[in-house]
Amino acid sequence: MPLLTDLSAAVAAGKRIDTIRITQELLAAGTSPQDVVEQGLVPGMANVGELFRRNEIFVPEMLVAARAMKEALKLLEPLLAKAGIKPKYTVVIGTVQGDLHDIGKNLVAMMWKGANFAVVDLGTNVSADRYVAAAREHNANVVGLSALLTTTMPAMKETVRLLKEANLPNVKIMVGGAPITQAFADEIGADGYSADAGSAVNIALKLVGEAA
Amino acid sequence: MSRSYFLELAAKNLRMPIGADLVLHQHRDPAAILLDGPRLGDVIAEAAVSFGTPLAFPIMDLKLEKAWLLSLLGVPATEVDSYHFAEDPGADTVTRLVAGLAANPPPPRVAANLAALRHVATTTPLYPVGMSIGPFSLATKLLADPIMPVYVAGTGATAAEDPEVALVERALELAQTIVLHSIQLQLQAGAKAVFIAEPAANQVFFSPKQLETGTDIFARYAIAPNRAIADLLVAHGVDHLFHCCGEITDQMLTDFCSLHPVLLSLGSSRRLWEDAAIVPADIVLYGNLPSKRFYSNQLTPPESVKVMADELEAKMRATGHAFILGTECDTLHVEGCGDIICNKLHRMLNLIPPIPAE
Repeated sequence: MPLLTDLSAAVAAGKRIDTIRITQELLAAGTSPQDVVEQGLVPGMANVGELFRRNEIFVPEMLVAARAMKEALKLLEPLLAKAGIKPKYTVVIGTVQGDLHDIGKNLVAMMWKGANFAVVDLGTNVSADRYVAAAREHNANVVGLSALLTTTMPAMKETVRLLKEANLPNVKIMVGGAPITQAFADEIGADGYSADAGSAVNIALKLVGEAA
Repeated sequence: MSRSYFLELAAKNLRMPIGADLVLHQHRDPAAILLDGPRLGDVIAEAAVSFGTPLAFPIMDLKLEKAWLLSLLGVPATEVDSYHFAEDPGADTVTRLVAGLAANPPPPRVAANLAALRHVATTTPLYPVGMSIGPFSLATKLLADPIMPVYVAGTGATAAEDPEVALVERALELAQTIVLHSIQLQLQAGAKAVFIAEPAANQVFFSPKQLETGTDIFARYAIAPNRAIADLLVAHGVDHLFHCCGEITDQMLTDFCSLHPVLLSLGSSRRLWEDAAIVPADIVLYGNLPSKRFYSNQLTPPESVKVMADELEAKMRATGHAFILGTECDTLHVEGCGDIICNKLHRMLNLIPPIPAE
């Protein structure tokens, strides 16, 4: 449907007013809210992730796109809730204890939201116990740990250890942040590592067993 | 102003990390030292001596000015780390801040830093270096979402038109006020150079794609406040050392150079030997070994450090540009990894002899 394609393009370009207008037109035309999300918003944000990976857009443009997406979701979420439609996957995310940086964490949360995951954002300076409790409470599929400071790397290691010990067999642990590498992720026993926010959706989908 | 002094240090092939935090944590009571000016000064001097440099670099704690600012605006100490302005706090907040700075002594950590500077300046032959977060980076710490307002301002929206732009511009005004005050106190304490750390002046906060459209947002938000600092330092005959370890474009680098610092410290994402063509000959380039990864022997094998250091030094020597080999940022202590990091700094400094070939 051309309107869904237009919606994807409007989201990717961060055109908030167009995004709202096209969403309203799609709903008025009888398109289901789920289709609007899955065939309009999700492809739009996926395109944003791809453009970011290719350095064709940068963090501010990602945020502008996410804002547009959020405006559409404001219209759609009540309808989805009314229809009893929930996102397929739940993800918990936070910045590890001792680290107050949240830009990277917010970008990943935003991309996950754009992929229609239910996102539980624990914020910054999150203790290992809070990650474990949230993963259990929300029956999370993926827990994302972010760190910017090298000084907080030990906290990330400890959080992974406690999550592994918490007997949550369905939870996959994903890590990221400026000083983090695949080697470090392997060293501390994380299940996945994302080098940037643009890759975070595909990595999470792979972790939950969906081909990305 | 001793630009020639830094050029001489570069000509002597000085190698030095920024690493007082590491030395601090070799002591049994680092938290107590941070509140004790003379002892902190001794640690800074100890770091300089152990790293073989005449430059006494202090601890790079970029949270101090935010805590100081918010304390003067009545935010409880327990909340300052996570506190953000939700909306433009108004022009009277700047007035309150100025009055608060005039009426109150600096908080204990800042007072200890000033006393440490004074101690180094008066009791050692070392070159006392002051330190402050840059105004733009501090402003970003005052907002929950600092990126979007900068982007919106870059589209041409003004503070009068957009509340987010009004918020970021007020934050910048507050940040500029306290940073200039902090620098003034450090000058009074005897700083001969001041290191301005502006890590947020990078392409996360300023989209290169937007900058290509010709917006002057980088010049207005990142460079103009730093030009005021540069002017202040020049007026006092104090050396301006400028640092940004974020990812930057060549144009951003050119803009940094327009501040004409004595020394420019860049992160490990930059190829300094290529930057040498952009940076004027009388600005010493400093950096930029990937010290944020020194905590792990898997990420940075100890033997690789000397190789990286020698390669970088050789490439820089080939350019002929004034250069001091160093770290990409403050080399912070990482719990349980202090010895690993120190070992690598010593390798960088050639303080550990190579293992003889069999």
